[in-house]
Amino acid sequence: MNKTVYKLRPSDYWRIGEHESWFADMAANGIHLKKMGLQFVQFVKGEPKKMRYRIDVSINKKITPEQIQMYAESGWDYVTSYNFFHVFSSPVELNAPELHTDPAEQSYTLKELDKKLAMNAGIVAVAMILMIVMLYAIWFLDETPTLVLVEGIAIQQTILTIFIGFSAYTSLQAAISIRALRKDLIGGKPIDHHAPWRMHHRLNSIIALLFTAVVGVGSIIPFVQLAKGDTKTLPEASLDLPFVRLADVEQNPALVRGESTYMSDNVDWGNRYTYEWSPLAPVQYETDENGVVPGRMWKDGSGEYSPSMHTRVYQLSIPSIADNLISDLIKRYNYDDSGEDFVKTKHPTFDHLIVHEDEAMKEVFASKGKAFIHVRYYGYADINSIIENIEEKIEIILE
Amino acid sequence: MAYNGGPMTEAMYYVLLALMHPNHGYQLMHAITEVSHGRLIMGPGTLYGVLSRMQKDGLISLAEDDGRRKTYQITPEGEQALRIEYGRLKAMIQDGNILEGGNENE
Repeated sequence: MNKTVYKLRPSDYWRIGEHESWFADMAANGIHLKKMGLQFVQFVKGEPKKMRYRIDVSINKKITPEQIQMYAESGWDYVTSYNFFHVFSSPVELNAPELHTDPAEQSYTLKELDKKLAMNAGIVAVAMILMIVMLYAIWFLDETPTLVLVEGIAIQQTILTIFIGFSAYTSLQAAISIRALRKDLIGGKPIDHHAPWRMHHRLNSIIALLFTAVVGVGSIIPFVQLAKGDTKTLPEASLDLPFVRLADVEQNPALVRGESTYMSDNVDWGNRYTYEWSPLAPVQYETDENGVVPGRMWKDGSGEYSPSMHTRVYQLSIPSIADNLISDLIKRYNYDDSGEDFVKTKHPTFDHLIVHEDEAMKEVFASKGKAFIHVRYYGYADINSIIENIEEKIEIILE
Repeated sequence: MAYNGGPMTEAMYYVLLALMHPNHGYQLMHAITEVSHGRLIMGPGTLYGVLSRMQKDGLISLAEDDGRRKTYQITPEGEQALRIEYGRLKAMIQDGNILEGGNENE
């Protein structure tokens, strides 16, 4: 019959006085505390009644029947418990004696909780440090933070760190507050049973909402990435997709596809294209292509001429990161080269154009607006042929 | 905090005093008010805390336990501690005697 009302459970469970006055104000409005759940506080709607609420901290997590009995005999009814906290209530008109008449004695009840919270805070702080070190390694070990950002590799870890960071902050706050309360009690200062709760309450609700939104959206991203990403074998025919094809660069009708070196899930990884998504680069392609020209030999006589191509394509949400992305890509994928032969070139079409040529190895980084293409080619075709192809393909991304 | 023989808190002192006669929680509260001549009214929370702590320290023990209601009694160690504390308090009062004639000395 009686309607149940749920309210978000305040995350600052350690503010004893504020909880007491919150429950009392609720009861005065006819919303009576029933149960403290994991995420929500359960109230029952009823007649408005002036009630007093007291929260007792016990040394043990469980409250004894003896304690409940003893309090009841003095007019305090047991309501609910959460962690080490036990809530009792008594109607104002009953004029029941205060539960705690000696603050110094009451401080003893906080001793165990104080110890436990201090230990918790220590553990979470260590976890936090480990997470930060790990995250730092992901972001900066290769010194390519822009690439990590664009590819959206570290999203889960970053969200997890935010999450742990938030719990570390809460644990620390709990430990400090309970320590301070204990000191106050030892010094003879009793708990303020009418502490104003509205400001913290509002702040908590906002933080909880923001936090839920960030973690919620953040945890969806990896799933979107999983769902959207896919790898397929490149068809030999040309596609209306924005990456440069080996055949277009080679311009040789005799070129045939190289034998597949690695097959998995029915995908020829030597001739594949991978589609990926991330918030900062909603369209991403990565391709590999291998060809052979039967009868033609490498000039150094090392075998049949077999050109290959690796490309990366990004459509960036924020075009201005293209510059950093290029230098990160150069860093990440050119282990042996010291990066000195990468030549910045002016080009009427591109915002950025960087080329690198080392005998048969040719590399081009090009960006225009939000489009970015990287081609690494191994073969005898002219580098200008690659640039021309990029010019053509980059328009597809910009459409 | 285990009792180390130092000065007792007021609550401890009166609970031990009241437990010279075995008693249980609710009655004990009244006994304390009585034995302090109405000067000390002890809340059930404070009483429960003192009882569980002194039981752990061996100053009091359970005389009877019928599940819901526990009757406590003072132990020999508790009585000894109480008498030492009483002696200490008496000495303090005697030392304070100089205050009685304080005005004449001015």
